[in-house]
Amino acid sequence: MASEPHDRLIERLAHGLKPVRRRLPLRDAAILIGLGIVEIAIYIWVSGMRPDMPEAMGLMAFWWKAASLGVLAVIGGATALGALDPTRSPRRGLRGFAVAAAVAIAAGWAIDAASAGVGPLIARLDWREGLACVRAVVLLSIPALLALGLLMRRGAPTDPGGTAAAVGLTAAAWGGAVFVLACPHDDPLYVALWFAVSIAIVAWLARLVLPRLTRW
Amino acid sequence: MEEWGSLMLAAQAGNGGAYRRLLAEVRPWLLRYYARRLPPPSVDDAVQEAMIALHTKRHTYDPDRPFGPWLAAIARYKWIDRLRAMKRTAADELPDDLSVGDHEAAVTSATVLTALLGELKPAQAEVIRLVKLSGLSIEETAARTGQSASLVKVNIHRGLARLAKRLAAEPIEGRDDGE
Repeated sequence: MASEPHDRLIERLAHGLKPVRRRLPLRDAAILIGLGIVEIAIYIWVSGMRPDMPEAMGLMAFWWKAASLGVLAVIGGATALGALDPTRSPRRGLRGFAVAAAVAIAAGWAIDAASAGVGPLIARLDWREGLACVRAVVLLSIPALLALGLLMRRGAPTDPGGTAAAVGLTAAAWGGAVFVLACPHDDPLYVALWFAVSIAIVAWLARLVLPRLTRW
Repeated sequence: MEEWGSLMLAAQAGNGGAYRRLLAEVRPWLLRYYARRLPPPSVDDAVQEAMIALHTKRHTYDPDRPFGPWLAAIARYKWIDRLRAMKRTAADELPDDLSVGDHEAAVTSATVLTALLGELKPAQAEVIRLVKLSGLSIEETAARTGQSASLVKVNIHRGLARLAKRLAAEPIEGRDDGE
């Protein structure tokens, strides 16, 4: 094998080598947490919280919604940040995300079954409001999508598809968790459907676009 | 490989000497890695791409962990990347009777052709000259050059693709003069 081009390349890479700032997953996580706090503060300042927040906080469905989305965002975020290390695969984390989502939906079903008021299905799904929720969740997921996309570009993911999916799922769950503060709907059926649609849209977009933008 | 971790740690701090030594020591490992997994003409390019990837992503190496798996993960990623690229540009089987009589003088000047072939890897230029210009069959060319028949086909295909790319990027002199 010709070694001369390799020698030239080695010389070029080593010449004038600059120190690099090592990638630290904990620092990345701290950046994301800071971004989340800023986004929540700005969102509350711009849109305000749901007017019936004190009453909502007494409902199990409200806490189910907030906790489910928060846990999903944490699992997704840990998976995505882990996958930026070339030696780590996001597949196990994605399976964990799927299990957590299934548990969340099952818990919602249990809360739904225990609730007294069961109206007609179409009325409960309230598609006009639902589409507004989808739009809000997608928009609120953008800051996390951008931040994680930049981290993905700086990192070295060796499973770009899986990592992009983890980034999309995290950003969507993040957007949903922020939107919990304003969303007036606590019906588990409504939440399960429209939040799942939002998460699917953002995850699909991330899976489609990010591998191309973060190729290395 | 334990020592490579220390060298990379020094490289992350900007020590060019340590980095030069690391890359020089990693190179044979990469050559062996790709020689077992890729066709011979692709090995050099794959090694260079892996070294560039290692350089670009050197900040992702964690000195608390062994260097070997990190290097292997990057090598494997670039290997898969190259396999995908090869699939995208997969060569069609070239028929043995593709060569035609020598009529290159009617198509282009010998000077231009020689200059263009000179930009190719010697193995590619040689088989193109023998098959496409001298009219030898794939088998005859394989016997003459010592390359296998499939490698002859691959080299012809890649060489022609490179020439086409080169020609598309930079027009031949005199072309605007009505040629």
